[in-house]
Amino acid sequence: MIRVNHRIAEKEVSAVISSVSAAADRCEDMTSEEAVTHLTSLVSRLQGLKRKLEEGSKVEALQAQRCRARLEHLESANADNLNEWNDTRLKRILVDYMLRMSYYDSAVKLAESSNIQDLVDLDAFLEAKKIIDSLHNKEVASALAWCAENRSRLKKAKSKFEFQLRLQEFIELVRAGSTLPAIEYSRKYLAPWGATHMKELQRVMATLAFRSTTECEIYKVLFEAKQWDYLVEQFKQEFCRLFGMTLEPLLNIYLQAGLSALKTPFCYEEDCPKEDPLSQEGFRKLAAQLPFSKQHHSKLVCYITKELMDSENPPLVLPNGYVYSAKALEEMAKKNDGRVTCPRTGDVCNYTELVKAFIS
Amino acid sequence: MDLNTIKDAFDRVAKKQKLSSTTTQDVVDKVIQEIESVVRKMQSIDDDADSTDQKVLFSELRSKLNEIAPMQQLEASQKELHIGLSKYSKLLEKYFNPDISKAYRHVDFDISTLNQIIATHFYRQGLFDLGDCLVNDAADPSAAEAVAALKSSFLDMYRILNAMKTGNLEAALSWAATNSERLLQNESTLELKLHQLQFVEILRNGSKNEALTYARKYLAPFASVHEDEIQKLMGCLLWAGRLDQSPYANDESISQTSTYRNKITEELTQQFCSLLGQSNESPLTVAITAGVQGLPTLLKLATVMAATKKQEWQTMKQLPVPVDLGREFQFHSIFVCPVLREQGSEENPPMLMPCGHVISKQSIVKLSKSSSRPFKCPYCPLEANVSQCRQIHF
Repeated sequence: MIRVNHRIAEKEVSAVISSVSAAADRCEDMTSEEAVTHLTSLVSRLQGLKRKLEEGSKVEALQAQRCRARLEHLESANADNLNEWNDTRLKRILVDYMLRMSYYDSAVKLAESSNIQDLVDLDAFLEAKKIIDSLHNKEVASALAWCAENRSRLKKAKSKFEFQLRLQEFIELVRAGSTLPAIEYSRKYLAPWGATHMKELQRVMATLAFRSTTECEIYKVLFEAKQWDYLVEQFKQEFCRLFGMTLEPLLNIYLQAGLSALKTPFCYEEDCPKEDPLSQEGFRKLAAQLPFSKQHHSKLVCYITKELMDSENPPLVLPNGYVYSAKALEEMAKKNDGRVTCPRTGDVCNYTELVKAFIS
Repeated sequence: MDLNTIKDAFDRVAKKQKLSSTTTQDVVDKVIQEIESVVRKMQSIDDDADSTDQKVLFSELRSKLNEIAPMQQLEASQKELHIGLSKYSKLLEKYFNPDISKAYRHVDFDISTLNQIIATHFYRQGLFDLGDCLVNDAADPSAAEAVAALKSSFLDMYRILNAMKTGNLEAALSWAATNSERLLQNESTLELKLHQLQFVEILRNGSKNEALTYARKYLAPFASVHEDEIQKLMGCLLWAGRLDQSPYANDESISQTSTYRNKITEELTQQFCSLLGQSNESPLTVAITAGVQGLPTLLKLATVMAATKKQEWQTMKQLPVPVDLGREFQFHSIFVCPVLREQGSEENPPMLMPCGHVISKQSIVKLSKSSSRPFKCPYCPLEANVSQCRQIHF
């Protein structure tokens, strides 16, 4: 969770470094310049840099504050406020889910209403939203800008997202029938990737010959509109990876783990208690493909009281073979002159007929 | 988990960050000053246009800028910051699992179902705006339809609860009256408790007559079953208007502190959900909490399995290890035969031996050599015949 923010802070810092080194370069240039106007323009540039730095440090301060809030939030978890904390965690998970599913309005609303803006990554996702929107509109400019901004780290992660963007742009040029600009474009932007992605490069270059009206399957797919959807998916993945987030929504991960751990063959029977999430159709549907949980030791729950049966509250067997907890049966016998009724079969017997069962 | 080390590391980073940003600012300021002073000088000598003068000025400027050594200063502070940052990130990776998605199985959840579940979760928490907003965002009419019924039920519930909070019990009472039989089936005395609340409220306002009429009308039907309670309430009549001096002042149901009222509100919520066929806790909360508890085990398992049998992870029918959850997640009786170490099933049900020990049917068949002879219980010295063993149901 915190890694995310840390990464953002790191990004800011590297941005500052680059702008500073740019400034230094300008300093050196300047010494060889001769005109006063150049100097004045330099001053204004430096002042611009200063403003940028100020903004940068403000953003950094905000990120730092967020990191701190998250740390404090983690620290604040203790026995007293466990319920509340769990509730916040659920909200955090839900906000994350909504952001990833592009339900931005709901996400913002939930984060604001429960005051957890500092604990979720609204800004980062809203930024991503802009890029996703523009990709949906078949524009690559903002995505390319994002790539440029994070180039070093994308390179470290061996990402070829930028290459895919360039390919798509090239394809669009071919689609428009402007062959010469397409070749120009490929010389400039695609050639540098040749060393690592020769095969894809060759395939795309072949479209110059086949054109967008081709029926040849290999090349036809390149012109399909769903390539853009694919780019959006790619972007989402790269984005999550860059910020140290899981590729899947947290909600799915936790829900899967939870449902797997809860799932027993008994959950699908009719008398499944209401408190079990798997008694509900929706959850059953979600859990359908998940594995069942496993137990090494018997765990017995009384049908009547839903309490655990153990040596303190031992299981008692009725003559008809049904088992209930001693607590429940004692209570029942007390109310009915020592007689107990089996709630599942309606059989009646005396409390004295019950046998203790030992289950190890 | 040791959060303090992380916090310390974070503090260091934050400090370095501040330091480096101030140095950066300072350096930029200085550079600007120097250049500006040169510009001023140049402008003053502009008329002469003496190139040698300019050259001198430039070399002066260069040496001064070298003196400030902007790059070195910045680099030094950046370096420190980076050392802090990388230490911090390493620490974070050590303490937190960087990739919890390892335990993820690539099973696509049905988005519409999931959204329905989340929307219902919001509704039951009384966050109707949010639920609606989500349904809108998801733009899924079938989901909206599916949750509409529950939404209106929960709307009803919150209407009653909100009225109760302002001290108006009418809605709650009328709900309890319409559902009184089902409440009794649940062995809930909620209806009586609500009437009790109302009665004491009337008494507190001091109108004895009104209280008496109320009691005759509403409390009388409960007299046969709840004699004690009614007697107590009637006793209260004597202290109308000054209940706090009565012998019942310490009685929870009479003094009616806010905690008691909250308890009743909670009971109403529980009963309402129960009659709706809904669980007490939001199922989403339960599932997620179980997930949080179970995930560490699954992660460990995933790491182990990734090394040996990667394929099986995605396809297995049952987890190979138990995932321990808290007591509150135990919804079903699970019998594991202590001899075979296998979960009981329809074909292999638990059997009770005459000594009271329980093992699975298959174990008994094995021990008795296919039911041919008596055998000794594996846990005590007693012998048993197969005919003496009987199947039990949990």
